[in-house]
Amino acid sequence: MNKELEHSFVTNLEQNQNIVHKVCRIYTNDAESHNDLFQEITIQLWKAYPKFRGDSKFSTWMYRVSLNTAITLYRKSKRSIKTTDFDSLDFKIKTEEYDDEVEQQLKLMYTAVKQLNDIEKALVFLYLEDKSYKEIAETMGISEVNARVKMNRVKTKLKKILNP
Amino acid sequence: MDELELLKKDWKKQEEGLPKLSYDQIYRMILKKSSSMIKWIFIISIVEFILWVSIDIIIRLSGKYEEIEVLGLEGFSLVSTILSYSILLYFIVRFYQNYRNIQTTDSPAVLMKNILNTRRTVKQYVWVNISFLALTTLIIIIYMVFYTDVYTQQSTDEHIPIYLIITTSVIVLAIFIGLLALLYRVIYGILTRRLKKNYKELQKLEV
Repeated sequence: MNKELEHSFVTNLEQNQNIVHKVCRIYTNDAESHNDLFQEITIQLWKAYPKFRGDSKFSTWMYRVSLNTAITLYRKSKRSIKTTDFDSLDFKIKTEEYDDEVEQQLKLMYTAVKQLNDIEKALVFLYLEDKSYKEIAETMGISEVNARVKMNRVKTKLKKILNP
Repeated sequence: MDELELLKKDWKKQEEGLPKLSYDQIYRMILKKSSSMIKWIFIISIVEFILWVSIDIIIRLSGKYEEIEVLGLEGFSLVSTILSYSILLYFIVRFYQNYRNIQTTDSPAVLMKNILNTRRTVKQYVWVNISFLALTTLIIIIYMVFYTDVYTQQSTDEHIPIYLIITTSVIVLAIFIGLLALLYRVIYGILTRRLKKNYKELQKLEV
């Protein structure tokens, strides 16, 4: 029985691992921390898996546990995080697809997102994942109005970071 | 906001550059141990319970309780012992209930609230204990002043005025409790600072 559970879990996670990687990208700045957080999220997902009843989609359920781990459970490593640490491991923007101006703008945007606090990062992440405000509110456990107001604030904050 | 929309478009393209872990790599991960904050909170809380029980045991072994009993406070000693262990039992049960409520499948808001509740239980236990300690010591001092001649005896023996002995006892007690409280605030602060900040951030605007 346990083997079966292990197998179904690993298969599910293997297929949906992108979600976890994307959470790691938002919350960490180097490969080592990325792997560290991925590891911890995997353990938390596995521990919660027996209670996963399939009444929601596996991916929806993954968003919650992954964000919970990143925001609350994961203890950040002591290494200082500076904007200069954003190296090639980070978001890769394909040069051939954009003109210089757009590319520059995207780079700035990703750097700005990294400067947001834990909660704001979660909101931006869900927004980028094309979630509706209703879904964002449900995932985070706040009201839809609060989600909207918070998201607007994040947008203003991002604008400020980009145009100081 | 145009920039965020632009980012959203690029976000999808980012998927191509993401690492791909194999079945075996993921399988090896589930065999490892977690190092999450919940685990640390559990360990530290248990240590705190053990610490307070050990203080009680040390006081017992050092024979302080017998001294109190000699002074005619047997009844008081018995009542305070029963009371302090009932307090311990009550808080351990509450701690356990709160701890069991912590579920990573809850929303971040609920999860953070449950973790903070669990910590609050231990914090309350420590404060109740500090107050209990202060109160019993004060009662013993008052009893010794009015119903025994311990202080009077000491005063005559060492040629120190009685009020000075009493004041010193109270000051020593106050300093001890003050230090304990300070130490506790520091430990508690470090442990939950980030959690509290995030919880507040999330709850802003919520009625």
